[in-house]
Amino acid sequence: MHISFDKNEVLKGIDLSVKKGEVVSFIGPSGTGKTTLLKCINYLQKPNEGEIQLGDLNLDYKNIKKQDILRLRRKTAMVFQMFNIFKHKTVIQNVMDAQIAVQKKSKDEAYENSYRQLEKVGLIDKIDEYPSSLSGGQLQRVGIARGLALEPELILFDEPTSALDPELVEEVLRVIEEVAKSGMTTLLVTHEMDFARSISDKVVFMENGHIVEVGSPEQIFVGSENVRTRQFLKKFYSNQELQKMH
Amino acid sequence: MEMSTLELLLEFLKVLPINIIIIILSAALGLLFAILLTFLRIKKIPVISQMADLYVSFARSVPGLILLFIAYFGIPKILSLMGFNSVDVSPMHAAIISMGFYHSGYISEVFRPAYLSVDKSQHEAADSLGYTPTKKFFRIILPQVIPVALPGYGNGLVYLIHDTSLIFAIGVIDIMGVAELFISRSYGTNQVFIYFVIALMFSAMCFTADFLIKKLEKKTSFR
Repeated sequence: MHISFDKNEVLKGIDLSVKKGEVVSFIGPSGTGKTTLLKCINYLQKPNEGEIQLGDLNLDYKNIKKQDILRLRRKTAMVFQMFNIFKHKTVIQNVMDAQIAVQKKSKDEAYENSYRQLEKVGLIDKIDEYPSSLSGGQLQRVGIARGLALEPELILFDEPTSALDPELVEEVLRVIEEVAKSGMTTLLVTHEMDFARSISDKVVFMENGHIVEVGSPEQIFVGSENVRTRQFLKKFYSNQELQKMH
Repeated sequence: MEMSTLELLLEFLKVLPINIIIIILSAALGLLFAILLTFLRIKKIPVISQMADLYVSFARSVPGLILLFIAYFGIPKILSLMGFNSVDVSPMHAAIISMGFYHSGYISEVFRPAYLSVDKSQHEAADSLGYTPTKKFFRIILPQVIPVALPGYGNGLVYLIHDTSLIFAIGVIDIMGVAELFISRSYGTNQVFIYFVIALMFSAMCFTADFLIKKLEKKTSFR
């Protein structure tokens, strides 16, 4: 995959290539454009200009057609910070619906596939519950199952654990880790530094709409020569220490 | 000529279907038009959306009785300007059209906020999964709009039913028309009784509408 954005209110000249099966994490201060970058990829936000190449799909955002947007979105799946689970559908219906509506699978086929996905994320005992009775961690796992059920070529995680209570973060990270290890091409925006460091093939440090540094986890977290990266990480880890003391 | 109470009630029941027909047809017309209006207002199409907004404000700000007169006397004028001289606009037609349009303004103002009450996250989720806009609307958005809209829509129906008590003013012989007739025939001696019967009939119609809406609310709620 290759994406490049030239001009945008938030993002300025982003250029990035990701190989199939690669796990790439985006870190950086809040308001830097990490989420915007992710949402530009599946066109939830409209980049002013830019190009994307995803598998056999080659698109220019400037004159993108409606059909192209659908094709792009059907190759990707997104997991949202606020989960974005359909409130009027049960857990399994949430996972099934797009398979029926978008992929035109039969109901039985969609059900079986959804059941398998929910088994993977450990929610078999919740399949007939409505979202209002689930915890944040469970909702997010539904979100992941819903995305994976469509067998996307690329999965986009947008701060998947930022809205969770601390004790629920772990159960979601475990599921993401499994996804990342399964060979699925994964882009992850996160503030979980240790997690990013342990699962990523590549880490991207962003600031003010720019990519400051791209490198292996070791390069970014241990041996960064970039002043801004070092400052950011230092601040992050000292804040974490402070929190632990309290 | 004195009428027995039973005969009087029978006379009312004979014309009651006129009220019911007018209510059902103007509710249907109003619903269709309100859906169109709401669509135009939400879509934010330049000029057209503003016109729809203006229409809704107008329909809601003018008393039903005045709209009734405008429709009854105005529609034939408009038709003759368009070259249809021989078209006959009956009081029934005028009543259905004016009540329907009046109702549409009211319930469009119920539908619009109900639509907007569906969180952006629901749109984003469906978009990210590759739903077409139509599929998204019917499978994800509308099922969440309906339970929010139903209570307000039920109120709109009740107001519509109430407002049909005005249609005798343009000469429709409905239950109010018959009531006026009886009252003038008996020189006002049985007014209270007759109006009380009318009140019960309106009450029964509203109860029925309320009952149906409540049933629908139960069926469509997901919480």
